[in-house]
Amino acid sequence: MWTSFVSPRLSVVLLALTLAACGSSDPEGPGTPPDAGTTVPDAGTGDAGGPDAGEPDAGSDAGTDAGTADAGVADAGPVDAGPPLVIPNTLSGFGLFTGSPADGGLVPVEGNVPYTLSTALFSDYAVKSRTLYIPPGKTAHYEPVAALDLPVGTLITKTFAFPADLRQPDQDVRVIETRVLVHQPAGWEAWPYVWNTEQTEATLATGGRSRDVTFIDLEGETRSFKYSVPSKNQCQQCHHLVDETGAQVMHPIGVKARYLHRPNTYGGVEHDQLEYLASLGKLDGLPAPANLPKAPDAFDPQAADLPTRARTYLDINCAHCHNPKGTAGITSQLFLNFDNASLFSLGECKRPGSAGAGVGGEFDIVPGNHAESILWYRMHTEESGKMMPQIGRTVHHAEGSQLIADWIDSMPAKTCK
Amino acid sequence: MPRLQWSRATSATLLALVAALSLSACSDDDDNTPDSGVKVDAGTDAGSDAGTNTDAGSDAGSVDTGIAWDGGSAGTFSCEGKTQATLNFAPGQEEALQDQVNTLAECTTIQLAAGTYTFDNAITIRQNGITLAGAGKGTKGEGTGGASSTVLVFTNAAANSNGLDVVGNRFEVRDLAVWNAKKDAIRVESSVDVVMRRVRTEWAEADKESNGKYGLYPVKSKYVLIEDCEAYNAADAGIYVGQTEYAVVRNNVAKQNVAGIEIENTKYAYVLGNTAQDNTTGLVVFDLPGNPIKGTDIRVKNNTITGNNRNNFASVAASSSTVSQVPAGTGTFMLASRRVELTGNTWGNNNTVDVAVLSGLAIEDDVTLWEAGGFNFASADVYIHHNTFQGGSGDSVDNGNLSPQLRPLGAALAALYAYGETQGTLGVEHLVWDGLDPYGHDRALVNPINICFANNTLPSGTTTAIVDLDLQAAATLATQGNLPGAWGRTRHYAATKAEFACSGFSPALTIGDFIQ
Repeated sequence: MWTSFVSPRLSVVLLALTLAACGSSDPEGPGTPPDAGTTVPDAGTGDAGGPDAGEPDAGSDAGTDAGTADAGVADAGPVDAGPPLVIPNTLSGFGLFTGSPADGGLVPVEGNVPYTLSTALFSDYAVKSRTLYIPPGKTAHYEPVAALDLPVGTLITKTFAFPADLRQPDQDVRVIETRVLVHQPAGWEAWPYVWNTEQTEATLATGGRSRDVTFIDLEGETRSFKYSVPSKNQCQQCHHLVDETGAQVMHPIGVKARYLHRPNTYGGVEHDQLEYLASLGKLDGLPAPANLPKAPDAFDPQAADLPTRARTYLDINCAHCHNPKGTAGITSQLFLNFDNASLFSLGECKRPGSAGAGVGGEFDIVPGNHAESILWYRMHTEESGKMMPQIGRTVHHAEGSQLIADWIDSMPAKTCK
Repeated sequence: MPRLQWSRATSATLLALVAALSLSACSDDDDNTPDSGVKVDAGTDAGSDAGTNTDAGSDAGSVDTGIAWDGGSAGTFSCEGKTQATLNFAPGQEEALQDQVNTLAECTTIQLAAGTYTFDNAITIRQNGITLAGAGKGTKGEGTGGASSTVLVFTNAAANSNGLDVVGNRFEVRDLAVWNAKKDAIRVESSVDVVMRRVRTEWAEADKESNGKYGLYPVKSKYVLIEDCEAYNAADAGIYVGQTEYAVVRNNVAKQNVAGIEIENTKYAYVLGNTAQDNTTGLVVFDLPGNPIKGTDIRVKNNTITGNNRNNFASVAASSSTVSQVPAGTGTFMLASRRVELTGNTWGNNNTVDVAVLSGLAIEDDVTLWEAGGFNFASADVYIHHNTFQGGSGDSVDNGNLSPQLRPLGAALAALYAYGETQGTLGVEHLVWDGLDPYGHDRALVNPINICFANNTLPSGTTTAIVDLDLQAAATLATQGNLPGAWGRTRHYAATKAEFACSGFSPALTIGDFIQ
């Protein structure tokens, strides 16, 4: 039986480890227990020994230069960021959780703060739980639009699970994978961990895996498909922004103020998530509550009007690539970020550069006509080569594509040329 | 800016608008990409001075177009002096391979023993200096590896996944085959120094719209060599060099694709000794609207481009891809292209046409959409010389399988020549120019964009070899049902027509001059 991450329990041992890990005396990173198994070489930042062609070198000689090489990302951490975290072979090696899905649930340790988003990325109806761990002594800085400026040492986890029946999301839940975003001195890294059949441990699977998944959907239909755990390198397809040199720099996606500004229950008490982080000393620069941005729940008609909800859905589901700094956005010039004010680059009467064959129409959005809008078609279809997003989706999100259909149909009809 | 409708708006309006755009394009013509050995600004001013405004700069670049660069380390990243490990894998070790691929140290060689490897996801490489080597590419039709071939099978891979998906400088793939990739077989993006050698990309079934789009696909890259490779059954292009600077495409075979070999929005390409047969279209050079790289300096030499008559299987209703608009039987076309030299090639038995020179406006007449590339819709400076035209071409446009909706140019061409046949013209000439560029030009000018056609070998009995379609006027008249009027606007010239008997452009291309 799987329990959602609602109320973190204090684990004295792990907390101690965590604290020790983040002091300057212990270079091993947060809570790598002695029995965490073998570690893998961290080739993402590895140094083959020679000059490193513009890449920051946080590998073998991180003691001397780590902290200066942050790939252009604003770094909330102190200048001396310490050595990179050695990536454990198992999820438990991070010391971020106690328990396991097999024994009553995966419970975040103190300091590993669970959070939810007002609108989430769709991932084949997977039920997701998220945690944010900011090391002791460090603080994230508020950002009004971009992801929070998180210090080196931050760990973000996202756990993907499928209930046997979506109509009873808390029952018979099978946890598939936990992805960990690690803010190393040289930048962010993404590491996928795949849960064993017994649900007792998740093991590093850098190459990704595929798993057969079956569930009963909201309409009572049984759905079976092959779920893809992305490989480490595939994570960057979504988790990146292109820097001034044209290089892709990895970034977190969801931890943005507008999605975090919502209540959650901590220790039985309801708090705004941003204010809770601030109260823990983990977030500074927070403006007054009235000035905090808020993305609505895209599926709550009471929360906002239809265009706002549709734009929110596109923002969290598409804009990590389709923005002016995403590779796909740059290529397609289709920008679906919520603050894009250009109707054309939002897709209205915009002809795609090369959408390939049979994508429903000639234009990304034909106002008033979702059926001839490529944007809707690519969200709706399950056909390889035509569906969007490129990865992370096998089945279509009925509610999401309906939202976009309703939005397009609500626009004053227009003939595109 | 109002949208242009070349078939409707008046010439005067258009001329004024295009002239205005050309002016802004000139002043806006800076090149954001680093380097470029020889800076060339040739023949792109669609207004009045096409082909004459050639400015050979002298910026020192790391690779000059004339230097004997033929793949390898031209960029700044090198593995020299670095640890160069080799990881060995055998069939059955796919999961271990995938795990290792995601934690590679730079300058690692992945050696794959002979045999068949089955993957459920892309092989995604994000590291510099990686070499992926097999035991051999096998032969066409082989979906399994043999004793001396390595075949990577993606038949049951995750939706939307490529075969190899690479971002990394100094990347090499060699001696293997990629079979049934879901999207592109080998996609290498934003990388410097890319070598693909003795690689086969193939899909099992021919003529299948759901096959992957591209076989060998370097895009947004620099210094690319594709050599001794084979590409079969791609639903778009077998070999697709996109938005790249410096590419050598040499001695490859592309068959049964929609497009055999495409050079798109690319600067400095040397396309030598390839065989493009049995595709919908054989070997093409074009710029697409919306791309920031303005293609230029393409040399197409000693290629065999024959029998490209496969029906266009990319075509479906509501398609928005460019290649789906190409009529079957098109040997070579250049579209929105400049400074292209075609020499030593052989064309023949291409049912629609051997060579066509087209304006970008023929596929996208909204000039505002060409802004990213500096309004690069006009074609100019095309030098076609010392080629062999075997004959048997131009006698069955789009195989007679016409679709005004899907492939309008083919349909227009077929309608015109159906009437032409009654007037004694028995086939489409070897060289077709649409007559659009510079837009709204004075029709008294016979060859305003400097297309040169010289010293080519033509089939005996050839009367006219070159046609100026005057497409805007002819298509308008044809649409009105006035075929005699439309045909009357087209101009048919002998191969020796003086205005086309020119000798290229200046400065002449140098790319490939020193490559053996």
